[in-house]
Amino acid sequence: MDTILNRRTALKLAAGAAGAAGIYAVYPGRRAFAAASEYNLAVEKGRITVDGISSRAKMMGGSVPAPTLRWREGEEVVIYATNRMDEPTSIHWHGLLLVGVMDGAPGFNGYVAIQPGETYTYRFRLRQSGTYWYHSHSAMQEQMGMYGAIVIAPKNGEKAAADRDYVVVLSDHTREDPRRVFANLKADPGYYNRGKRTLMDFFRDTKRDGLDATLKDRQDWAEMRMDPTDLADVTGYAFLVNGKGPEDNWTALFAPGERVRLRIVNASAMSFFDVRIPGLPMTIMAADGQDVQPVRVDEFRFGVGETYDVMVMPREDRAYTFFAEPIDRSGYARATLAPRAGMAGEIPALRPRTVLTMADMGMAHGGMDHGGMDHSSMGHGAPADAGKADHSTMDHSKMGHDKMDHSKMGHDKMDHSKMGHGGMQQGGMQHAMPASPSKSSTPPDRAVGWGDAGTRPGEKALAYADLRSARKNDDARAPTQEIEVRLNGIMERYMWNINGRPFGHDEAIRVKYGERVRIRYVNTTMMAHPMHLHGMFVELENGQGERMPRKHVTIVPPGQEVSVILTADEPGEWPFHCHLLYHMEAGMMTRFVVGPKEERKAEAK
Amino acid sequence: MFRSLVVASALAAIPFVVVPLSAASAAPGHAPLPFGQAVPASQAKRTVTITMKDSLYEPKSVTVKAGEVVRFVIVNKGELLHEFALGRPEDHVEHQKMMATMMDHGMITATAIDREKMKMDHGAGMHSHGPESGSVLVEPGKRAELTWKFAQTATLQFACTIPGHYELGMVGEFRFQ
Repeated sequence: MDTILNRRTALKLAAGAAGAAGIYAVYPGRRAFAAASEYNLAVEKGRITVDGISSRAKMMGGSVPAPTLRWREGEEVVIYATNRMDEPTSIHWHGLLLVGVMDGAPGFNGYVAIQPGETYTYRFRLRQSGTYWYHSHSAMQEQMGMYGAIVIAPKNGEKAAADRDYVVVLSDHTREDPRRVFANLKADPGYYNRGKRTLMDFFRDTKRDGLDATLKDRQDWAEMRMDPTDLADVTGYAFLVNGKGPEDNWTALFAPGERVRLRIVNASAMSFFDVRIPGLPMTIMAADGQDVQPVRVDEFRFGVGETYDVMVMPREDRAYTFFAEPIDRSGYARATLAPRAGMAGEIPALRPRTVLTMADMGMAHGGMDHGGMDHSSMGHGAPADAGKADHSTMDHSKMGHDKMDHSKMGHDKMDHSKMGHGGMQQGGMQHAMPASPSKSSTPPDRAVGWGDAGTRPGEKALAYADLRSARKNDDARAPTQEIEVRLNGIMERYMWNINGRPFGHDEAIRVKYGERVRIRYVNTTMMAHPMHLHGMFVELENGQGERMPRKHVTIVPPGQEVSVILTADEPGEWPFHCHLLYHMEAGMMTRFVVGPKEERKAEAK
Repeated sequence: MFRSLVVASALAAIPFVVVPLSAASAAPGHAPLPFGQAVPASQAKRTVTITMKDSLYEPKSVTVKAGEVVRFVIVNKGELLHEFALGRPEDHVEHQKMMATMMDHGMITATAIDREKMKMDHGAGMHSHGPESGSVLVEPGKRAELTWKFAQTATLQFACTIPGHYELGMVGEFRFQ
């Protein structure tokens, strides 16, 4: 008697029944003779309700987000993914180390999309622990709700003892069909940018900055074919926590004094968030599923595709608001930590959205710290009401034109065809410093520069440099080659690509198996790109020496360079792309090919 | 709060103690803390070894009697700097603030103690003081000792108040017999 067949048949029937009932369709099963856990995941169309408004969705396992898959390190899992939609689909296991074909990205590693009515069998052994996620890698289905969390328990038990353990999946939800969103962006990239600067803004800036500076600033942006308010391409989103809108108010319960672990996943299609819990510091304990040395912060910036595990210890018998503001401040995701159900904490006011400056574009002056500086107060005269303008921290000696590092200003960072040298002349670099810098006690009316979340004085926002791996990096070798990855875009045409070639016309990046390489991202655009390499972790060169954090997504801020190091120890042809869904769709993706193990062996002989 | 800090090195020959200025002025002598006081190791009849890892203690609880003197040998087998601090939960809350300040001032880092900065930094509202403490910092790979005479206390814990560690569960309990 074939017990496998019987077992599987039973599971399929069970899943079918549950799927029809529209409730859930994940059934952990265990074969008597093997260590594999089996799951059925049906992919189907349905509807979700957010703050009382119903809209269409595509879902895995019958819900948005999809059911959390709770696994254990070392076990083998088998997932039967059945496509009950009328279009091809796929499921990608984001951050998991596995054999290429199991990665679930159509067109890579021999994996083919799951056709309507088909069932694909994923089977892999879990080689890691931590918080990860899974999502569709097809046709922008992710935007429609195909995402969920994966929690893998360490085989030797959790190092930190939490009294409560919650998964918090952040996402952005639109009632529009993603294909329409993409078409709108293609037709007019500013389609969703309701914060675009207007003629009134022009008059205000002119009054404040003077006509020349204002004209110059406008000219600079025009020559880049970009807009300084383009923090996010798509707005009109509802921002969800575990599929719930701000009114729905997803709530996590605690008893005062308990340790509460939050496994936070940014499953958005397009949204970076600034995440905080006012009144409750968070201890970052893992980033992208990888343990880091504890860092206590008040907030962190959260890139699309990243995960952070934080521990919080609410001591008071009251509700705390979990608050995630998208960086364009077009709304918020909200949840509540409370000792009892039905409670609600205060919802903070949205902080000002940042305005990007030429400094974000790498066009500022050599030797200056773009992140910590208020560039608006430098180039265009200091607005009296800008509380963030702390001139006392500025090093005036570095501001003379003679010290400007021209090599950093254009030639290796920027695409000349898009920039125009005219925009780089003195106008944008006037240092109209007030004679006596004064600090203002009024809150800032706007934040300036990509890195500025509007963090209150005395509070700490996580910086990438704070992330320090809990264990030493496995591979101490120096990289043998550097691969430059240029992140390019022409906003006006909504064209995004890597190294000047959109996916399909791209040139694969090839490395040998076992090779240690540095990837140097050069962001020539004014948007941040969360760069995701499938199949392997990279080590972020953030100054932490032998404890560089291991990441599967790396945020590359506007106009900046970020480098990571990779030991190419997973053979295959891996997707390598910007995790902003519509950027990937527009072509910001390439192949990262790691040669076969045999090649390396043959060479050694 | 009446909290202070013994900084222990491998030699532990010159324990280095830091207490808040206010505590120093309020307690000029070696007044016992509400939960007991440090005493010479020779008074101890019992030794308890506490192992520190990142970020937990083994064992997680220790049973003591009121009035008993226990010599603690604290071994840091982790890769981070840790603390063994006696106190009630509210003491640890206060102590965490001081520790965060020390970290901000570079007196301690994630893995080590900066002894120069520790000596120099009076601006942080702390200064060096005698060995009465109830709190020991132990660098990775090192060990330290603390001998304590226990006073009956409703809830007494040993905890690490380095930012984030307490939240991650680096706390143990004293159970009074």
